[in-house]
Amino acid sequence: MSTTLFGLTGAALVGIGLFGLIVHPTALRKLLAFNLVGAGVFLVFGVLARRAAAAGLAGDPVPQAIVITGIVVAFAATALAATLLARLSGPEEEP
Amino acid sequence: MSGLLLAASFALPLLLAVTALWPPMRRHLLAALPAAPLPALAAALLAPGGSLMLAPDPLRLTLALDEPGAMLLGGSALLWCAAGAYAAYYLAASTRRTAFAVWWLLTMAGSLGLCLVADMTSFYLFFTVASLAAYGLVAHEATPAAGRASLVYMGLALLGEAFLLLAFVMLAIGAPGIGNPAIAEAVAHLAASPFRDAILVLLVLGFGLKMGLVPLHVWMPLAHPVAPMPASAVLSGIIVKAGVIGLIRFLPFGGEIEGWGVALVGLGLFTAFYAVAIGLTQPHPKVVLAYSTVSQMGVVAAVAGAGLASGSEATPVLAAFYALHHMLVKGALFLGVGVTGKAGGRSTGPILAVMTVMALSLAGLPFTSGALAKYAVKDLFGDGAAALAATLSATGSTLLMLHFLRRLATLVPADADAEARPPAGLLLPFLAMAGASFLVVGLLLPATGASYAAAFAPEALWKAFWPMLLGGALALLLHRFAPRSPAIPPGDLIVLAERGWPAMLRLADRLERADETLRRWPVAGALLLLLLLGLGAAMQLSAGFHIPRG
Amino acid sequence: MTVSLLPVWAVLTPVLGLCALLLCERWMRPERVAAPFVGLSLYLSLSMTYEVMTSQAPLVYALGGWLPPLGLTLRADGVGVLLMALTALVMTGVAICAWTPPGDATARSRFSFWALLLALWSALNLAFTAQDLFNFFVALEMLSFAAVALVALDGTRGALIAALRYLLFALAGSILYLLGVGLIYGRYAVLDLAGLREIAQPDTVTLAALALMTAGLMAKTALFPLHLWLPPAHAGAPAPASAVLSALVVKAPFLIILRLWVDLLPLPAAAPQQIMAGLGAAAILVCSVIALRQQRLKLMIAYSTLAQVGYLFLMFPLMPGPAPWQDIGWTGGLLQLASHGFAKAAMFLAAGLIYEALGHDRVAELGGLARRQPVTLAAFAIAGLSLMGLPPSGGFIAKLLLLTAAVETGAWWIAAVILAGGILAAFYVFRALGHALADGDPPMAPVALYRQGAVLALALCALALGFVPLRPFALLAIGRPLEALEAMP
Repeated sequence: MSTTLFGLTGAALVGIGLFGLIVHPTALRKLLAFNLVGAGVFLVFGVLARRAAAAGLAGDPVPQAIVITGIVVAFAATALAATLLARLSGPEEEP
Repeated sequence: MSGLLLAASFALPLLLAVTALWPPMRRHLLAALPAAPLPALAAALLAPGGSLMLAPDPLRLTLALDEPGAMLLGGSALLWCAAGAYAAYYLAASTRRTAFAVWWLLTMAGSLGLCLVADMTSFYLFFTVASLAAYGLVAHEATPAAGRASLVYMGLALLGEAFLLLAFVMLAIGAPGIGNPAIAEAVAHLAASPFRDAILVLLVLGFGLKMGLVPLHVWMPLAHPVAPMPASAVLSGIIVKAGVIGLIRFLPFGGEIEGWGVALVGLGLFTAFYAVAIGLTQPHPKVVLAYSTVSQMGVVAAVAGAGLASGSEATPVLAAFYALHHMLVKGALFLGVGVTGKAGGRSTGPILAVMTVMALSLAGLPFTSGALAKYAVKDLFGDGAAALAATLSATGSTLLMLHFLRRLATLVPADADAEARPPAGLLLPFLAMAGASFLVVGLLLPATGASYAAAFAPEALWKAFWPMLLGGALALLLHRFAPRSPAIPPGDLIVLAERGWPAMLRLADRLERADETLRRWPVAGALLLLLLLGLGAAMQLSAGFHIPRG
Repeated sequence: MTVSLLPVWAVLTPVLGLCALLLCERWMRPERVAAPFVGLSLYLSLSMTYEVMTSQAPLVYALGGWLPPLGLTLRADGVGVLLMALTALVMTGVAICAWTPPGDATARSRFSFWALLLALWSALNLAFTAQDLFNFFVALEMLSFAAVALVALDGTRGALIAALRYLLFALAGSILYLLGVGLIYGRYAVLDLAGLREIAQPDTVTLAALALMTAGLMAKTALFPLHLWLPPAHAGAPAPASAVLSALVVKAPFLIILRLWVDLLPLPAAAPQQIMAGLGAAAILVCSVIALRQQRLKLMIAYSTLAQVGYLFLMFPLMPGPAPWQDIGWTGGLLQLASHGFAKAAMFLAAGLIYEALGHDRVAELGGLARRQPVTLAAFAIAGLSLMGLPPSGGFIAKLLLLTAAVETGAWWIAAVILAGGILAAFYVFRALGHALADGDPPMAPVALYRQGAVLALALCALALGFVPLRPFALLAIGRPLEALEAMP
C-alpha cells in the first residue's frame, strides 16, 4: 500500500516538475522544477528498493546507491546552474 | 614503367596544386601550367594498354588506359598544354592568378585521371574533382554574371553528382563481390540488374548534364562566356567530355537494350537541332560557341545511342574519336576568339581564315578533322531517319558556324593600326591547336577502322559537302528574308527556372522562422515530451502489448 | 575477451592530470602540466585500439573483481576503441592548437580550459567503455558539467546564457534517462547491458523505459527538433572548446542510444526506427538550409553539426539484419560519426584561427584569407570535403555505405535525403570558401604555423578515413554480440 502511495507521489512530482520545466520562463524556476522532477525520480527509486523487502530482504542496496549518486549529481547540477545564474545576476532573461 | 606514367598523369598537376601552400612557389605556378599535362601526353603516346593497381583488394583503385581512353587523354593533354601556355600569358597580370592556377591544376588532374581509371570509386572521385574544381574557373572573374553562372554551374554539377552516385550505388549492388567493383564488371551485370532502367536514367541524367543534353544544357551558355578565355576553351573542350567518357564507360554496348539506344539517339539529335536554333539568336560569339558545343555533344550522345541500339562494340572508339575532334577544334576556336580580339591590320585576314576553317570543321568541311569524325561515325546510324537527321545536323552546324563567323568579325578592333599583331603568347597556342586538330585526328583515323582511301574518296567528300551547301544556302536565305531574330537570353530555359528562385528564398525564410520558433524553450520542451510519447507509442504498437512475466 | 587494466587507466589518466593541474596551479603553466597527460592518454587509447585490432576481442576489466550485477565492468569493444582513438586524436589536435591561449585570456581561464579538457576526456572514455545503464548516466553527467563549463569559459553574458540553456536542457534529458533506468531496474533488477540482453522482453515497461532513455539522450545529442541549446553553445564557446563539443561531446549520448537499441533490446526494424530516421532526415534538410543562411562562420558550422548528427540517426532502419553490426548501415553510421568528428574538429579549429587572425568570423568578409593563411584554409576545405560527402574522404565512404544500405532495404526516401543533404552541405561549404578566396587585404594577426598544421592534420585524418574499404568493417563488429562476464580469471 505504502509503496503504491510513494510511487504515485513520485509520479506526481515528476509530472509537476516537467510542467514547470517547460512552462516557467525564468531560469531559477526551471532549476527548481528540475529538482522537483529529480525528487520524484529518487522517490521512485526508493519504492524500487522497498519492493525488494517483499522478497524478504531488508532493502535492495543498488537503488539506494543510485539515489545517493543521483542526489550528488543533482546537487552538483544545481550548484553549477546557480553559479551561472549568479554570474548572470542582471535582470532575469529567458535562458 | 607505363603504370607509373599513368599515375604521374594526374599526380603532377595535383602536386603542383599543393605547392601553392608554399609561398616561394606561388609566384611561378602560373608559368608552370603548360608543363603540368606533359606526363599525361607521354602516357597517351607511350602507355596505351598499360595498367596499374594503385591499391590492392579490397580498395582496388585501378588505372588502365584503353584505346578510347588514350585518345581522350592525349587530346586533353594537348589542349591543357596549349590553353595553359595561353593562360600563362593571358592572366599574367591578374591579382588572383594563383587561385586560378590552383583551380586549373585541380580541374586538370580530375579530367586527366578520368580518362584512365578502371574502377568505380576512382571514376567518381576524378569526375567530382574535375567537375567541382571547374567551379573556380567559372567564378574567376568575380563579376555578378560570373557569380550567377558559377552558382548555376555548381548547383547542376552537384545534382549531376547526386544522380551518378545513386546510379553507381545501384550498379555496385548488382556487381559480384562487395566493395569497389571494376567498371567493366559492374556494367557487364547491368542488363541483369533489377534496377536496370533506373540506373540507365540516372546515368544519362548525370552524364547528360555534363555534356549539356537539353534541357540540362542551361549551365553551358552561362558559364562559357564569363570564364577567362583559356578556361572557356578547357570547359568546352575538356570538361564536357567527362560526360562522354562516362557514357563510353558505363553504357552496356553489345547488350540487348535497343529501346534505350533509340531514346538516346532521339535525345541527342533533338539537342543537336535545338541548340542550333537557340544559338542562331545569340549575338555574343562565345555564347554561340557554347550552343555549338551543346549541339555537337548532342551528336556524340546520338552516336552513343546508335551504338547502343545496334550493339556495336566499336562505339566507344568512335564516340571518343568524334569527341577528340570536337575537343581540339573547339579549344582552338575559343582560344581564337581571344586572338581575334587582339587582331588588326594585316594579321586580321589570316586569323579570320584559320578561324573560318576551324568553324567549318565543326560542320564537317572536307579535309578537316570534322569530315573525318563524321565519316567515321556515319555507319553507326544505318540508313534510316536517324542517319538523315545526323547528316542534316551538319547543315545546322554550318548555319550556326556562319552566324558565329559573322559575330566574330565584329570583335576585330576597328582602330588598330596596320602593324598590330596579336601577342605570340596568345597566337602560338591557338595555331598549335588548329594544327593539332588536323594532325592528330588525321593520324588516328585508322584506329576507327576506316581507311584513308575511302575517307577521301570523291563520294565521301560529296556526302560531307552537300549538307554544308544546304546550310550555306539556308544561311543566305535567313540573312535576306528572316525577321529580326527574337531576343532569347543565354541559357534559355534557366531563365524560366530562375523565376522559381524568389519562392525558394521565401521557403528558406520560412524555414529560418520555423527554426526560431522551435528553438524557443516551451516549444522545445513540449516537443521533447511529444517525442517521448510518440516514440513510446510507436514501440508499443510495433512490438504488440505484452504483460510482464512474473 | 581479454582482461586488461587499460580501460581503467584510460579513464583515470586524465583525472590524474586534473589532480596534477590542481596541485601545480601556482608554479607551472597549465598547458605544461597537462601536456604529459595528454600524451599518455593518447598513447593509452591508441594502444588499446591496437590491442583490440590484433586480438580481435574486447578488453574487459571488472572493477575490484566484483562481477555484475553488483560490480561495474569497463569494456572496450571495437566501437569503443574507435571512438576512444577518435577522441584521443581530436583532443591532441585541440591541445596543440590551444597551446598559445587565444587572445587576452587570463591565467585563470587558461587553467580552467585545460582542467575541463581533461575532465571531458575522462568522461568520454568512461562513456565509451561503460557497460551498465547507471554508469552511462554518471559518464554523461560528468560530460555535461564539463561541457557546460567550457561553454561558459569566456564569461560573456551571451556565453553564460548559452551555457545555462545548455545545462537546463541537458538536465531535462538526463532526468528522463534516469527515470528510464529506474523502470528497467524495477523490472529486471539488473543494469548491466550483457545481463539485460539475456532477459529483456519487449513488454510495456521495458519499452516505456527505452522510450524515456532514448528521448532523454536525443535531447543531449541535439537531434532536431531538440536542438535549441546547440547553436548558441557551440558558436559561443572558445573555438578549441567548440571543436571538442561538436566533434565528441554530442557523440557520446548517440553511442549510448545505439548501444540501447542494438545491445539491450534488439527490436525488429519498424515504426520507431522510422521515426528516428525521419527526425534525422528533417535535421539534415532543415539545418543545412539554415546553415546556408548564417552570417557567422561558427554559427554556420554549429548548424552543420546539427545536420550531420541527423545522418547518424538515419542508420537505425538501415541495419535490419539479426546481427546489425554485420550490416553496412552499421559501418556507414559509425564511419560517419568518426569522420564527422575529425572534420568538425578541424573546421571549428580553423574557424578559431580565422577569428584570431581577422578579429571576426563574418562569412562575407573573409576575403584575402587564401593568400595569408593558405594552410588553415586548406584544412577548412578538406574538412568541408568530408562534410559534403565527396571523395576521397571518410564522409564520402560513410554516405556511400548508408546510401547502399538505403537502396538495399528499399528506403528510397532515405537515399534521397542523403543525396540532398550532400548538395546542401556543398553549398554552405563552397559559400564560405568562395568568400575566403575572394580578393582582399584586411589587417591580420599572425598565427603560428604549427597550430595551422595541427588543424590540417585533423582534416587529413578525416580524409584518411576515405581509404577504409567499402564493406562491413571488421573492427566495428569486435565484441558483439555482448557476452556476460562469467568470472575474473
